Amino acid sequence: MGRTVAFAVLVVVTMVAQVTVVNRLPLPGQAAPDLVLLAVVGYALARGALPGAVAGFATGLLSDVLPPVAHLFGHNALVFCVVGFVAGRAARGRPGAEPLVALACAAAGPMIAMATGALVGDPRSDPSVIMTALPPAVVYNLFAAPPVVWAVRRLVRGPEPQPLHLRGYVLRGRA
Amino acid sequence: MKDTRRARINLGLLLAAALVLVTVDHRSGDRSPFGPFRGAGTTVFGVAERAGAGVVRPVGGFFEAMTGAFSARDRIEELKAENRRLKRDLMAQSLDRGRSEELRRLLGVAGTGGYRVLTAQVIARRGAPGFEEAVELDVGRGDGVRTEMTVLNADGLVGRVVRTGPSTSTVVLLSDAASAAGARLEGSNEIGVVHGVGESGRLVRFRLLDSTAPITVGHRIVSFGSHRGVPYVAGVPIGVIERVEATPGELTRIAYARPYADLTALDVVGVVVRAPERAPRDAVLPPSPPSGPRTADARRVRREGL
Repeated sequence: MGRTVAFAVLVVVTMVAQVTVVNRLPLPGQAAPDLVLLAVVGYALARGALPGAVAGFATGLLSDVLPPVAHLFGHNALVFCVVGFVAGRAARGRPGAEPLVALACAAAGPMIAMATGALVGDPRSDPSVIMTALPPAVVYNLFAAPPVVWAVRRLVRGPEPQPLHLRGYVLRGRA
Repeated sequence: MKDTRRARINLGLLLAAALVLVTVDHRSGDRSPFGPFRGAGTTVFGVAERAGAGVVRPVGGFFEAMTGAFSARDRIEELKAENRRLKRDLMAQSLDRGRSEELRRLLGVAGTGGYRVLTAQVIARRGAPGFEEAVELDVGRGDGVRTEMTVLNADGLVGRVVRTGPSTSTVVLLSDAASAAGARLEGSNEIGVVHGVGESGRLVRFRLLDSTAPITVGHRIVSFGSHRGVPYVAGVPIGVIERVEATPGELTRIAYARPYADLTALDVVGVVVRAPERAPRDAVLPPSPPSGPRTADARRVRREGL
């Protein structure tokens, strides 16, 4: 419970930091990583598919009212909900695949946003926009994904238990 | 697999809810039932962003200094040269000033547009995942800002206000793919529409409504203005045509223009809280480069029959 509250606080702080700092950094390519999406992915990896979907939906709704906003209400909720579910589902029972799942979801986020925008006839999902704005957004998400997802996953799940064989190996080395 | 089925049902419910929200918001347009939620969000988060922007401004400044360090030397040289040129121009101008004052009175229009402008600072910006180009300003209803007001900066048109909170307001930039502004070719009166193309403000698309009208690289465009100056006041410089697309057989012509205002690095902007009584036409445009089309002033004098 405490960790969920910590995650909620983290998401709100991240959202405000995203629009006030990250989006305004003069990065090459005029794009920025979407830290809120990555936080949802981290939560889903730690908790599973359904909690990931619920957290994504709630986070998206909050993001839909955070100014400045010029998109449709519910758009981010839809995108984050799908990403949260997919991240939790794909990593279930396969702890080794988590880094790969995190990267895939980070890349898929902007694409799902574009696709759902096109569904409701959003002029921002124009082919010319897709060609110019989508690649830098995906690249920045991929760069930011490893540290952000790892940090959020650790916050939500707690520190990793030490693997047994490693401890044994160290002990044997000492003996 | 019981857990997965329950998860799937719940996912379906959530997705359906999100789709319903999107659809309702899309269909109802300006009279959206979610207006109160957005209003509450603007009020609450606007305060947080205002507080946050003051704290994080040095962070942005630091990054800007880091990324700009390589080009800073060239920039200094460039500025020095510009300074020399401006000093020289200033000397020449002081000689001309007496004459220009007289001319100005004769024309009956001030050199600048006569807008009443409220200055504001950009405190937040949106990008992915919506790919919308919107910024938040630190002025709101309390300062006299209303929706559908024009926003400009020292260089040219920036965008329009779409939502206001008590102390903050949301501006959709010219470079947003969903924004459209009426525009006019300098001098020739040919009208068209400016759309963003999602290149993060480097270029905007100008669709000229008359496919036979001449349009060349270096032509400048100004805002056409709308009824009662809402949402765009007339005569604000928009940009310079950089590329003209060949569109044989189409009813309109398409050109790409570089906006005067640097839409990627906005800081201090102005909100036009009162439009000028009379449209200033080309009077606000910066002086024409010598190689560009004929100067605005010459044509303006001709048009007014002087």
